[in-house]
Amino acid sequence: MQSASGMLTKFESKSSRAKGIAFHPKRPWILVSLHSSTIQLWDYRMGTLIDRFEEHDGPVRGVDFHKTQPLFVSGGDDYKIKVWSYQTRRCLFTLNGHLDYIRTVFFHNELPWIVSASDDQTIRIWNWQNRSLLCTMTGHNHYVMCAQFHPKDADLVVSASLDQTVRVWDISGLRKKHSAPASIYESQMNQANQQQADMFGNTDAVVKFVLEGHDRGVNWVSFHPTMPLIVSAGDDRLIKLWRMSETKAWEVDTCRGHFQNASGCLFHPHQDLILSAGEDKTIRVWDLNKRTAVHTFKRENDRFWVIAAHPEINLFAAGHDNGVMVFKLERERPASAVYQNQLFYITKEKHVKSYDLQKNVESPTLLSLKKLGSPWVPPRTLSYNPAERSVLVTSPADGGSYELINLPRDGTGAIEPTESKRGSGNSAIFVARNRFAVLNTAAQTIDIKDLQNNVTRSFKPPLGTSDIYFGGTGNLLIITPTAVHLYDVQQKKTTAELAVNGVKYVVWSNDGLYAALLSKHNVTIVTKTLEQVSTLHETIRIKSATWDDAGVLLYSTLNHVKYTLLNGDNGIVRTLDQTVYLVRVKGRNVYCLDRAAKPRILQIDPTEYRFKLALVKRNYEGMLHIIQNSSLVGQSIISYLQKKGYPEIALQFVQDPTTRFELAIECGNLEVAVEMAKQLDRPKLWTRLSAEALAHGNHSIVEMCYQKLKHFDKLSFLYLTTGDEAKLTRMAKIAEHRGDFGSRFQNALYLGEVEDRIQMFKEIDLYPLAYMTAKAHGLEDECQSILEASGLTEDQLNLPTFGEPLTPPKPLVPTYKANWPTKATSQSFFEKALLGQMEGLSLEDESAAVNGVGEEAEEDGAKRGLLGDGEEEEDAGAWDMGDDVVPEVEEGLVDVGTAEAGGAGSSEADLWARNSPLAVDHAAGGSFETAMQLLNRQVGAVNFAPLKPRFLEVYQASKTYLPASAGLPPLVNYVRRTVEESDLRKVLPIIPRDLEYLAEHDLQQGYKCMKNNKLEEGVALFKNILHSLLVNAVDSEDEVSEAKKVITAAAEYTLAMSIELERRSLGTPDAVSADPELLKRNLELAAYFTIPKIGVAHRQLALSNAMTQSMRNKNYSSALSFANRIISNGDANGALAKLLEAARRNKATCERNPHDAVEIEFDQFAEFEICAASYTPIYSGTAYEECAFDGSKYHTKYKGTVCKVCEVCEVGKHGSGLKLFA
Amino acid sequence: MDPYSAEGELINIHNHFHQGQYQEVVDYDVSTLSSENELPARVLQLRARIALGQAEDALADVTGEKEPELQAIAALAEQALGNSDKAVGIIEKLAQSAADNTTVQVVGGTVLQAAGKSEEALALLSQHQGSLDAVALIVQVHLQQNRTDLAVKEVTAARRWAQDSLLVNLAESWVGLRLGGEKYQQAFYVFEELAQAPATSSVRSLVSQAVAELHLGRTEEAQAALDQALKKEPKFAEAIANLLVLNVIAGKDTAEQRTLLEATDAQHPLLVDLAEKSDLFDKAAAKYSAKASA
Repeated sequence: MQSASGMLTKFESKSSRAKGIAFHPKRPWILVSLHSSTIQLWDYRMGTLIDRFEEHDGPVRGVDFHKTQPLFVSGGDDYKIKVWSYQTRRCLFTLNGHLDYIRTVFFHNELPWIVSASDDQTIRIWNWQNRSLLCTMTGHNHYVMCAQFHPKDADLVVSASLDQTVRVWDISGLRKKHSAPASIYESQMNQANQQQADMFGNTDAVVKFVLEGHDRGVNWVSFHPTMPLIVSAGDDRLIKLWRMSETKAWEVDTCRGHFQNASGCLFHPHQDLILSAGEDKTIRVWDLNKRTAVHTFKRENDRFWVIAAHPEINLFAAGHDNGVMVFKLERERPASAVYQNQLFYITKEKHVKSYDLQKNVESPTLLSLKKLGSPWVPPRTLSYNPAERSVLVTSPADGGSYELINLPRDGTGAIEPTESKRGSGNSAIFVARNRFAVLNTAAQTIDIKDLQNNVTRSFKPPLGTSDIYFGGTGNLLIITPTAVHLYDVQQKKTTAELAVNGVKYVVWSNDGLYAALLSKHNVTIVTKTLEQVSTLHETIRIKSATWDDAGVLLYSTLNHVKYTLLNGDNGIVRTLDQTVYLVRVKGRNVYCLDRAAKPRILQIDPTEYRFKLALVKRNYEGMLHIIQNSSLVGQSIISYLQKKGYPEIALQFVQDPTTRFELAIECGNLEVAVEMAKQLDRPKLWTRLSAEALAHGNHSIVEMCYQKLKHFDKLSFLYLTTGDEAKLTRMAKIAEHRGDFGSRFQNALYLGEVEDRIQMFKEIDLYPLAYMTAKAHGLEDECQSILEASGLTEDQLNLPTFGEPLTPPKPLVPTYKANWPTKATSQSFFEKALLGQMEGLSLEDESAAVNGVGEEAEEDGAKRGLLGDGEEEEDAGAWDMGDDVVPEVEEGLVDVGTAEAGGAGSSEADLWARNSPLAVDHAAGGSFETAMQLLNRQVGAVNFAPLKPRFLEVYQASKTYLPASAGLPPLVNYVRRTVEESDLRKVLPIIPRDLEYLAEHDLQQGYKCMKNNKLEEGVALFKNILHSLLVNAVDSEDEVSEAKKVITAAAEYTLAMSIELERRSLGTPDAVSADPELLKRNLELAAYFTIPKIGVAHRQLALSNAMTQSMRNKNYSSALSFANRIISNGDANGALAKLLEAARRNKATCERNPHDAVEIEFDQFAEFEICAASYTPIYSGTAYEECAFDGSKYHTKYKGTVCKVCEVCEVGKHGSGLKLFA
Repeated sequence: MDPYSAEGELINIHNHFHQGQYQEVVDYDVSTLSSENELPARVLQLRARIALGQAEDALADVTGEKEPELQAIAALAEQALGNSDKAVGIIEKLAQSAADNTTVQVVGGTVLQAAGKSEEALALLSQHQGSLDAVALIVQVHLQQNRTDLAVKEVTAARRWAQDSLLVNLAESWVGLRLGGEKYQQAFYVFEELAQAPATSSVRSLVSQAVAELHLGRTEEAQAALDQALKKEPKFAEAIANLLVLNVIAGKDTAEQRTLLEATDAQHPLLVDLAEKSDLFDKAAAKYSAKASA
């Protein structure tokens, strides 16, 4: 073979010489007509002979399948054309008329016609529906070797003859005559006319072109399916290409190469190729456009006689001296690689594309590989390197080659790679970020190369290595024909080996723990250390596989998608109508590439395998979820469950009572068994149930069974053992009623009824026994009456000595009253779940219990006093307030490049202070002094103690500790929030608990405290939020205003809660009501609590509190105003209905007497704010001071004190404003 | 031939050492080594034992030995036992007599640097003749001095002659974590590769991976790697320290890690630094006060 890589033989048969072949258009069948008169029907996928048809006499040279009907036609040396049904497996009829051997027969693609070519020098067209000869075409003056309809143009026939010509015939006349829709009358007329027309010479079919050029006989001729081209093969060993137009036809070129008669030729159905076969034992492939040879396949001993192409798929067949071979010209598996959610693949046009498995979008062409390898050889594999965004492509051309190419960031059409590294090798894969391995099978070496294509190491793999795959980090999987080796590249040795034959592909699971080794018919699952987990065998070829995220392997065969679990359980997921290569499973979607290298999505139902997986993992919630959400029924799953020892689970799926009964017995579920037995009511079932129930100790069911079965003896005994005397008595009655003396005796014995026994003996004339019984029990009167009745006296009797009379056992425990003890049967999880007995087994919200943030309220030293009187910082006024001068940055930017000499440099943390005007960045860099200076200037911060935790938090967050050399302390590195940035002049530290986090966690936590009345905790939380925001950074101006909002909210809440806390600290309700001063203050504070701008829902709580307080102290006027406010605020989400109702009620009460009993300083109509220090009103219009940070208001006398709300800033000290964004 | 090179006998034990697989180094079968490699292997094993906290045993093992290599090890053991002055003394003596000995350079460099004598360490290490161990140490010293520029130079130079070496990759990654940007990802790849392959995985590489991920802003992944590391060795101070940092970043409570760290390594830089900063804060805060007290 000249080029072994090109042809892939899929099937070969052994027989006598094959003369004719035909592919079935849909099924994997091929018809082969033999020189020995037999016609064979093969399934070339399975490699089985389906049928043989043997009615011809002598060689059969032509066969053809009908495109749509279950028919085929054959023609042979017996001059006969036979039409067969492969369904009924017999010849339907024979068309007679040819006068010599028939060479070829073909069906028309649309019309019910057959064309035949014969050695009688004619071509005939037949109608197989009415089994008539339509037309005989004469003109060739030697044997006609081949005649075919045009596959598309219904009016053309082409023929080849040993008269050295190829003829193209126009049969439009014939078609018009026979295929026009016509009434019965007309068609009868036509038939009449036809006879007539023939009499005048044939005008139905005329020769259109005679093609002369071969200088020997022509054996075969074919039309091109779409282009006006014809190819012919002749005994002059030439393949000729012809072109025709409407009016003429001419020879285009000749393909020279066969060195014996060329017997067959055809156009490739999809590619610009010509295939020919000859008696020189070769099949040759030619480039249609250049007419140059592309491939030659040679057989040792077999001359080729015929060649055929499959109409749809990439398959060809050739008949030779010893049978038939079915082959492909090239691999159809598209080279592809998956990385995370990206599928990279190479199309038929040799374009590299990617497909986003998440968004289901295909990228434009990323790269064109037109120049890789030979134009007719597709690339074999693709390996992707995410770190470098490069691909490694191998091609079998030129004895194997690879190319390493960087992918562009985005595709903009077919780009030729600008720069690529190439080399020779059979397999090439990435093994690490910057290394790839190349296998050269001829030299049996593996080279590890770096990205510059330099060999960094090289070693000899185990003998006979045929392929290599990625073997986990630092490892290779080396494939030999009989084994797989796990090879450690670093240590250069095989670390594990597993004997598996003929592995072709390796598929790693997503978590990298398992790999599936695919060979032609086997799937072997191994762990990452190459220990075999399971293996399975398929009779049909395995094509591809991919792993589900849960650890289920899905694999595709030629016609199915199947699954296998790690334990080897497998089954079918769905059927396939065409071969696909799986790349990824996601939920119900399977992503795959088809043979045209187009990504496709198949829908699957993963229920079955998920269920089995859940079963194996004993994930009962998962199973339950599946049971409840899908219609998982069917015999297979039931028998599976039963077989696997889960009858109790199977029970949940079964409807059929018999099966249910069986399963219930098997798992000891008596209730279900009873129910089913009642439904079916068959003695056999009752017997089984009774035995089972007895084993369980469930005597009430046993009783019921015995009753159903009418097992009186057993029933009696059962009653005896359970101590149920009442029922035993009834049994005695029943026995008497039935006239069953044995039973009656037995029952009487059980019951200890002596009289009854005696009576019974008398009834059946057993007086001696009756007497003895009576005597034994000392019933002398009875003895006498018996003696009298029998006419005997006591003397006449010879009595044995008596023992103690038998007394029946008396029950100690009334067992019959309860079914106890019974054998413990565990109620399965499923029964419980399905019966709804499991509390809290909701599959939807399992995280309900997980309650995010714990107590965040750090003991932040909020209660710490002020830090002495220290020196005054008033002279800060000398600084320019409007300007954010970064303190103490004397020198310019640090230029790292210039420093050459040794000595320590400044750390990145030092740079942060230089790079940023934000206090937080200074704090992160450890420059606390400057950070404080900044805060002091921005918002007048003076009391830093509460900020200490935040400072240290920020400081800690930005340093990691990298263990480096042994014996040395770890290397400190600096975590940046500017992850992408590497310019040291722009890097900034990461800030923990940023705005988003605070708003989502702490703030909500604070609200919760308000709602739950945990005010101390709430105040601490809100203050913590203020501190965290004071030392923070945001990303944009928008976020700055967002941050300001959060600050205001936190401040208002702090104030509100503080007021209420102050009120509560006044004293117990009794103490307060006793002291008029306190009472007044109490009422005032309650009223002030309603003033801060907190959320409406929370305000309602404050109002309600104030209302209650006022009501209690008969301040009806105030109460009325609170009630009115509550009502006008409304109830947005309906949570406060009660509150609203109370407000309405109070309103009604208050309106009757709208007067305050206690005069308080609270004017419901005035506009005022609350001083955060004294908790007294600041009426609008009066002067006030405020905190520059949180905006809380104070009476002027508090100027210069530390703000009560944030506890950091000085009241009335105005700064340049807090800076959070530079 | 360099015994540590890819073809050399000591490649595996040497790699184990630098991957932080100290137990594997100690357990390494040295009986098959050729005679000239016995001493280097022994040195590696002794260093591994010191790293495993068996400094006393190691010291006992080398007491009385004459080879400069083993004397250097004695110094390392002393250093590990906290006798820094004694250790520096030994090394300074050795630096006079056997400065051309690679082990003396490497171990001596370690001791000097650990004692805070960076300049002396660099002076000793710079005498090396193509020792990657020395290069890696020099890189680390530069980084600890915050001289990333010099570290970059050192690595770039080493890469030219020892491309595929583990140590160069490691040193480059250390530098990468300082440089940032794209280098974070590259460093991550190196650490991940080491950490996730069973043959090379160690707590040190797992922690390194986690650190790289922290820098990349991938806190969840970092958490996973740290958990993995702590599962392997619950008392690994670096893992605890970085977990603490991670929790700070994630806004979680860190008290547990702090107590744990205090228990395992009271002298951990994180704690020392924090205590220092706490004092600094108090001192700085004391400068400010409100004008009026309420």
